[in-house]
Amino acid sequence: MLFFSYFKDLVGQEVTVELKNDLAIRGTLHSVDQYLNIKLENTKVVDQDKYPHMLSVRNCFIRGSVVRYVQLPKDGVDVDLLHDAARREARGG
Amino acid sequence: MVAGLREFALRSRDGSGKPVLDESNGEELMHVQPSVAVALGNRPVESPGTLYITSRKLIWLSDVDMAKGYAVDFLSISLHAVSRDPEAYSSPCIYAQIEVEEDEDDDDSDTESTEVLDLSKIREMRLVPSDSTQLETMFDVFCECAELNPEPVEEEEEEEVHNWVFSADQMDVRGGDEDAEWQISQSPTSVIGHSNGDEGLAQPMLELQINDQRFEDAEEMIHESETKDHH
Repeated sequence: MLFFSYFKDLVGQEVTVELKNDLAIRGTLHSVDQYLNIKLENTKVVDQDKYPHMLSVRNCFIRGSVVRYVQLPKDGVDVDLLHDAARREARGG
Repeated sequence: MVAGLREFALRSRDGSGKPVLDESNGEELMHVQPSVAVALGNRPVESPGTLYITSRKLIWLSDVDMAKGYAVDFLSISLHAVSRDPEAYSSPCIYAQIEVEEDEDDDDSDTESTEVLDLSKIREMRLVPSDSTQLETMFDVFCECAELNPEPVEEEEEEEVHNWVFSADQMDVRGGDEDAEWQISQSPTSVIGHSNGDEGLAQPMLELQINDQRFEDAEEMIHESETKDHH
């Protein structure tokens, strides 16, 4: 549940989601659920040439299981906090 | 195991034209959208048809050709969105990407040819309702159904101990099988460094007691420096 809570706190910030099929989409994090399905708003495809059909898409729903990375804003990450929380989570605490 | 797009033409015999669902496995019909055209990959749009959204999959059935229809499981739908830019596509539609198994012999031209069509290689799909005011509703139903279809969790994963390593200190503890010289105990349930399956990583980590003076606070160091020899 760690990342679910973490992403909930990031709602409203701009992130870039990179999918396992290499597509990268930048947008505002609208919402996230327990499966880390992600809804993005004001989306912009990072590599427009590869997926021209995505040009007109402004809001999208991305299945959690196809996400490879979520690129976060630098000041949106408290690394120490995340590090500690991850340890606690792994211990089952 | 992941099935992409496939043909589907199983219609119920009650004359309603509705598709046959796997009700015994809990599949339900969530939404029906009549007058929807479908465009698979770069192929020309096909219509007229009806879109049936079930709790497991999308089914598009042709209104005129009873043998024509397509289905794709929500498990295979990576992404879906409302597409409105007339330059990208002539009509507003739901755009969806389908997860496809990577094949070494992947030849893109196959998906464009209308003669040899391998549906399982289709990566993009557009559903164009004749009533574009319905797009938001359709998008929302897609979201709902995606949430109903999370990745199946294998039983094993829950019980398996994840061997996360947090620091170099732990590397010693991970004696495991290869350290025959340890032989601390013959019993497999009480070997240090082995979890007996019930505890999490807490067990080996809590047993690590670092008494190294180097980790003492600076103030204590000053105090202890006089007694250093006795340590």
